[in-house]
Amino acid sequence: MVLQIDRLTGGYSKVPVIHDISFNIDKGEIIGLIGLNGAGKSTTIKHILGLLRPHSGEIRVGGVTADEDIEAYRRQLAYIPESPVLYEELTLKEHINMTAMAYGIDETTAMQRADKLLKIFRLETKIDMFPTHFSKGMKQKVMLICAFLSHPELFIIDEPFLGLDPLGIESLIQLMVEEKERGRSILMSTHILATAERYCDRFAIIDEGRLTAIGTLPELREEWHMPGATLDEVYLRITGGEVYDV
Amino acid sequence: MSDQLFRTRMNEDVARRSHYGKFIFNSHFLIFLSIAIGFFLYSLLSLVQTLTPSFWLDVIISLVFGITLLPSYRTLFKQADGVFLLAYEARLKDYLRAVDRYSLTLGLWKPVAGGVVALILMTVGHETIEMIIALLASIFFYVMNFMIRKEIINSEWPVLPVSFGLIALTVLSIILILTEPILIVLPLIVYAALLFFAKKHSHTSMDWRKLIGYEEEQLNKYYQTVSLFTNVSHIDKQFKRRRYLDPLLWKPKEAAFNKKKMYEYLFYRTFARDHDLPMIVLRLLVLFGVVMVWIANLYLSVVIALFGIYIIVLQMSQIYTAQAYLLWPKVWPVDRSYIQESYVAYSHKLVFVIALVFSILFISIHPGYFYLGILFPLWGFIINRSLSRAVYRKEKELSD
Repeated sequence: MVLQIDRLTGGYSKVPVIHDISFNIDKGEIIGLIGLNGAGKSTTIKHILGLLRPHSGEIRVGGVTADEDIEAYRRQLAYIPESPVLYEELTLKEHINMTAMAYGIDETTAMQRADKLLKIFRLETKIDMFPTHFSKGMKQKVMLICAFLSHPELFIIDEPFLGLDPLGIESLIQLMVEEKERGRSILMSTHILATAERYCDRFAIIDEGRLTAIGTLPELREEWHMPGATLDEVYLRITGGEVYDV
Repeated sequence: MSDQLFRTRMNEDVARRSHYGKFIFNSHFLIFLSIAIGFFLYSLLSLVQTLTPSFWLDVIISLVFGITLLPSYRTLFKQADGVFLLAYEARLKDYLRAVDRYSLTLGLWKPVAGGVVALILMTVGHETIEMIIALLASIFFYVMNFMIRKEIINSEWPVLPVSFGLIALTVLSIILILTEPILIVLPLIVYAALLFFAKKHSHTSMDWRKLIGYEEEQLNKYYQTVSLFTNVSHIDKQFKRRRYLDPLLWKPKEAAFNKKKMYEYLFYRTFARDHDLPMIVLRLLVLFGVVMVWIANLYLSVVIALFGIYIIVLQMSQIYTAQAYLLWPKVWPVDRSYIQESYVAYSHKLVFVIALVFSILFISIHPGYFYLGILFPLWGFIINRSLSRAVYRKEKELSD
């Protein structure tokens, strides 16, 4: 088990935003974290990253909690935020170096891993530039390069396709599939359900801070008596969402 | 609504200034400032005794006026105004009149200080009537420079060259007046023509993008000035690539390429590529160095050097504050204590180099007291240690 979340309740202040959330991620599994805006996806992710302290419940990554060993806990995680967060004063190569030093990877290995990723995302000629001068999509690619070169056990990706061009999306999907085949796991929050339906093994659906459903698409269809339904249709039924006519 | 909006914005700006003012004008700084101003006036008055009337003295007087007679235009606009105030533009006349008055009073200390210095210098070879005409003209130039630049900001014309042009015009006008007071007519005509020209080229409606951008620039300049003395957390930081410094930037060797050294690697780059910090440190070094050489008094040299090191170290601690609160140190599998350890390693090295420059300067001015040169690296070490600890403490309190 790579990630175990057990009855997690938490939020930004004393008022909880997410309530009693429990789910696990197995080795080599891709899980789609799905919910409306404000449902509690990002809060759940921040709790997993250890950026917020749970009000109650427990999170284990690779069997360790953040309180037991924060470094061992974080070493197994790589995070790609929804909006790129970069050091304005560092070049692309220096971002790679910082990530390598943080994850205990030697420089030669880091550059070997980075070379492949730089080619995939067509950034090999921009290695000595400040990524803050890049477009939003290119900045997101820098985030992806840094995350994928660190070879963690669990990738946490918040809205992975946001800002990427079609080639970038295709490359990211390929990388995710490769990592899954290597036994690494991915938790991704997304609104692009058609893509999630194709590549995620299971779906965790959050609504108003509560986990309302979790399972594979056939399991969700069966549970909600919707044979042959798409993920969109199942999701709308589960969340009780209505599309109002304009 | 217009009046209420102005009051809210002005109160916000005044509150911001008084908040930072408390940090800047602390008791140590006020003592230093009193000594510096007193010594400056004393030196100036002594100097005036030895001066004889000359054209070049008039040039210096004009330069003093030139650099102090261009007030900033503070619209107090915010980004969101470009959307929400757009429909109220026609009803903003009172607001704009109020910000004009506010802008003119805000920078009033500069022409007053410049006027005092110029007045002292004008006592050399100028009649009272000439001095009165020059002072009255300077009030006129102050208002006209403000009005012309204000119109230019709301036009397609670039602001910076116009600002330099106005400074040059003020300098030339004062030279003319000091040479022949009757020639005041010429600058009056030129200024009136320029204002007419600026009004003609100014947009009939407000250029919100430019006005908001200019206000942001002014606010950022204010924060940059404040950051010379204290930490300003929300300063809009910019970095410069400065490729030529790349070969000088420290990089850990293979064995040290790990989490223990990563923040030191980062701190050197943050310092070297900071938009202002290296230049501020350099300017402060030059400024304090010049004052030390000028005064050439043993005790004052020591006080100035110690104060210079204090100001520079205060400047440098903002780098730690900026890095400690970012996302990645909270996500990477690296203990936060390494940020502090790396900052200690980086800052002590840098402060030692800066203190050494002060020591060398001091020894070259007072070779007989060379042994006092040891004071500065020691002071740098103590002050850096003490200020860093205060920053760590604050960070710990906030994280708890």
